Amino acid sequence: MDLGLKDKVALITGAGSQIGFGKGMAMTLAKEGCDIVVCDMDMEGAEKTAADVRGLGRKAIALKMDITSTAEVKEGVAAALKEFGKIDILINNAGVGTQPKPFVDTTEDEWDTNININLRGTMIVTQAVLPQMIERKSGKIVSMSSTAGLSGMSTGGVYGAAKAGVTLFTNALSKEVDEYGINVNCMAPGLGATNFHKASNFPQEYVDKFVKEMAASGRTTTPEELGIVAAFLCSDVSRKITGQCIRVAGLM
Amino acid sequence: MDLGLKGKVALVTGAGSQRGFGRGIVQVLAKEGCDIAACDIDINGAEQTAAEIAQTGVRAIAVKADITNSAEVKDAVKKALDEFGRIDILVNNAGGSTPPQSFVDTTEEEWAKDINLNLIGMTHCTRAVLPQMIERGSGSIVNISSIGGIMGTPGGTAYTSAKAGVIIFTRSLAQETANAGISVNCIAPSLGNTAFYDEFPKEFTDSFVGKAVEAGRFVTPEDIGNAVAFLASDISNRIMGQCLNV
Repeated sequence: MDLGLKDKVALITGAGSQIGFGKGMAMTLAKEGCDIVVCDMDMEGAEKTAADVRGLGRKAIALKMDITSTAEVKEGVAAALKEFGKIDILINNAGVGTQPKPFVDTTEDEWDTNININLRGTMIVTQAVLPQMIERKSGKIVSMSSTAGLSGMSTGGVYGAAKAGVTLFTNALSKEVDEYGINVNCMAPGLGATNFHKASNFPQEYVDKFVKEMAASGRTTTPEELGIVAAFLCSDVSRKITGQCIRVAGLM
Repeated sequence: MDLGLKGKVALVTGAGSQRGFGRGIVQVLAKEGCDIAACDIDINGAEQTAAEIAQTGVRAIAVKADITNSAEVKDAVKKALDEFGRIDILVNNAGGSTPPQSFVDTTEEEWAKDINLNLIGMTHCTRAVLPQMIERGSGSIVNISSIGGIMGTPGGTAYTSAKAGVIIFTRSLAQETANAGISVNCIAPSLGNTAFYDEFPKEFTDSFVGKAVEAGRFVTPEDIGNAVAFLASDISNRIMGQCLNV
């Protein structure tokens, strides 16, 4: 199926980790012919991903971007627009959690981490990218929710609340920008064998045992699988799919 | 993106209408290289669809079945299996609704008709096709629900209840057959410019459907076909038991 993504420009946040969902989406979109703006707080990782995208014969630039910094996001989006002239696709992938613990024990700092990065960060990047999509009357936005944002997860209530916010923000925004031909969707991945748990300060034992076991038995969502669904949602073949949250989680 | 559908065999119900979702589904699947069993209660329509598809280079047959009649469904599935040896993809598309009316005015017969056609019918087809999928350890089922089965619609209690049933049937069956390598998902289309509304009062279709079509706010058979092809493909197998609103 021709997804018609050749020569589209995609900006992907959190695409610096070499084992992450972001890189999986960057590579899948590049294979479909997209040029990629690789954003990450970790510039070295972003450069690596950009180099691999170039290896597929597409253009790529790496940008340092802390999505909770409006100034840095604006600067990054301006640099991307200077390089490519447009951003057709925005993938709000960057996100993180905090160590699972009973709600009564969570700190307000932990609430801020979850909400600022996952929800507010998604809004900041979206607001920076959206105007030129509205102006050109075309665009695709895919954000990252989570299965924990669809049905609550014990000891992960604040993370789940932030991700549920992404799901509803997605749905509301889709109704707002439909008249401009812009599709807004999100995906709810299941557990991935990515850097998420380490970055979110999960106990090392959880990563070593549970995540590895899940991956070994083929029950984790892979970056490639998420990339395939992202590519489908960014294509005009799915033009009538908007405001949705697609669960990409097997039976999780 | 290669969906890997080349050489797969798809049975699509309700594929006889020349302006229906079923025909769009068949066209997209055939374009991706699937052989097709076009099933419909209207065999002439199914034959027309099959003949058109056969010209594109894949194999296509027409089979007749009223999906509310399990014996007819079994015969149709047998005919498809005799021809192709297997069915990799089942698309439960056939459906329909009695004209909209208030719940208190709905007769038991009308209720039974909507539930039989939209919910029981697709279980007949699924029951007939599933065993050979389980035996081979692979297969994809895509059911067509409706946005009405999620949101509800006034005057459509029976139809929307049946379509809501399709969504949960999909989810339960997906959980049951995942370990057998079979994916089950459904699609909830919004309004289409199809024969679905032909038996509805003219004033309803003119004001409701007509306006939506005029404004371009309707889904095309190709839109539904694209979503079916994506869900029927093994590359989307991490999507399980879900309902995709199109």
